[in-house]
Amino acid sequence: MSITSTAARTSTARGSATGSRRPGIGAVFGVEARKILSQTKTRAIALVLVVAPWVFILLVLHQDRLPLETLYGRYLKVSGFATPMVVLVAAAQWVLPLLASIISGDIFSAEDTHGTFKTILTRSTSRSAIFWGKTLAAFIATSALVLLLGASSLLAGLTTVGAQSFVDVGSGELTPGHGLWMVVASWLSVLPPVIGFAAIALCVSILTRSSVLGVVIPVVVGLVFQMYTFLNAWDTVRHSLLNTPMNAWRGLFDNPSYSAPFWHGLAVSAVYTALFLALGYFVFRNRNVTEG
Amino acid sequence: MSVVEIGEPVVRAHELTKVYGDLRAVDRVSIKVQQGDVYGLLGPNGAGKTTFMRMLFGLIRPDSGDTHLWGIPVQPDPVAALSGVAGFVETPRFYPYLSGRANLELLARLDGDGSRARIDEALDVVQLADRARDRVRGYSYGMVQRLGVAAALLRDPSLLVLDEPTNGLDPAGIRDMRELVRRLAGEGITILLSSHNMSEVDEICTKVAIMRRGRVAFVGPMHELRGRADRATRHLDTTNNQEALSLVSGRPGVSRPQLDGGLVTFDADDRTVEQLSRELVTAGLAIRTLTAPTTALETLFFTLTEADQQEDAA
Repeated sequence: MSITSTAARTSTARGSATGSRRPGIGAVFGVEARKILSQTKTRAIALVLVVAPWVFILLVLHQDRLPLETLYGRYLKVSGFATPMVVLVAAAQWVLPLLASIISGDIFSAEDTHGTFKTILTRSTSRSAIFWGKTLAAFIATSALVLLLGASSLLAGLTTVGAQSFVDVGSGELTPGHGLWMVVASWLSVLPPVIGFAAIALCVSILTRSSVLGVVIPVVVGLVFQMYTFLNAWDTVRHSLLNTPMNAWRGLFDNPSYSAPFWHGLAVSAVYTALFLALGYFVFRNRNVTEG
Repeated sequence: MSVVEIGEPVVRAHELTKVYGDLRAVDRVSIKVQQGDVYGLLGPNGAGKTTFMRMLFGLIRPDSGDTHLWGIPVQPDPVAALSGVAGFVETPRFYPYLSGRANLELLARLDGDGSRARIDEALDVVQLADRARDRVRGYSYGMVQRLGVAAALLRDPSLLVLDEPTNGLDPAGIRDMRELVRRLAGEGITILLSSHNMSEVDEICTKVAIMRRGRVAFVGPMHELRGRADRATRHLDTTNNQEALSLVSGRPGVSRPQLDGGLVTFDADDRTVEQLSRELVTAGLAIRTLTAPTTALETLFFTLTEADQQEDAA
């Protein structure tokens, strides 16, 4: 039906634009993906993640000292596979939670900032689809940025140092092929806890309607978790903290390897993710949109 | 396309109520908007118009009462009820870092099939085609308002809901927006618009509900409201305003006489004013000015919407 030449509408006629099929999570995901990619912030972060590992390894190669206190730091000039592992160890405690927060801590509250909730909630997409579409977009974007950092680190190491044989956590020698597998698997193994931090950020973003708090609070939570691990306190609590699974890959590549921390970390991450998503979903579904 | 019972009102709000703490923002509001109406929701700022519209869009849940669109309840599933409904509440909002066109493309995806094909046409209708690729951040207020209308038109609405569509626009923008609303109404779109401007509603609407303090003070066709609007507020300045006030007060057909800022103000129809002017001269009072700064309709609007304030003041 044309906008400008519409015939008089009968009492049984309703607009056809919305159609009989409601756009679902996929449509919302597409919208959010486009918004995320359009933002200068996202592009700037991606650029930093691509460039930073190169700067790091080039600086290391031009100095005499190595970061010996960091796991794999002593191998930085020996094998290119050490670069992504050092970056992973260094980034796991607060850089990765920060990455999760920057994307996920803003995806809901940005709508409050721009006053656009009323714009999107008066279309043909349900609140439920909007929640899950946004969540999916946040999780995928966060994971993509984490993997971008890993890929850039790997490429920087292989390009500047080379694909020499590597060592596992137990100092056993690894072929380049196994070294590559270790790097890839290690980076993939941190995604569940990163998603957990993203869920916290997303929930805070919904509860506070503040992008600043959505970004800051999960990072602070990550730091508090890290500080707890420094204490000689209950192991039960330590194992239930979301930063513990960030190091679960070490067991997988020890000699002999053990997988219990990985599976435990996976469960912990799933619990955090489920709890915070459930809370966020409940609040989002029931909120009154009075602003904007 | 939903099949709707013949004769079912497009909008049927029944005893709709929303309370914020001690404030009854909307208090048992019941209105019916029929197919083809250009319905004005009129009231001063804070009368509850926007809260009512947010409930109509399902953005706010009412504390009691309900709203049906074509017989379908807005709660608990606004999306089902809002099929064929479009518009905006308060100032339309968009993503400032995207172009106008990109914003419409995103909204079209959230509408589903059909909307995307109407983007160019909608931009043409609101005369934004030449600025569509500019970021919304650089748009003027009037352009954002027009983009809001374009976003609504994407949905090919049968009911267009516009909250103060001319608010903040310059005179040319107001003229264009009113013309656009009239044109859309002429195409058969039912329109519900809110305004705090009596003359705007008088110019555009066929039916009106006047709200004050969350309640409906008047509801009916515009011609009925006009029929009740027989008295305009007059401002009178004479050589002795105290004496003029005494003469005006108590006259049949005169209401609300008072001294306001040194002038005598009162409400009266034209015939009473003619008679009064003769009596003032006869009494030896020369008339310096006698004006009617508001129309009779506006005077009625102020009378209806300020009644509570006057009661409070008393």
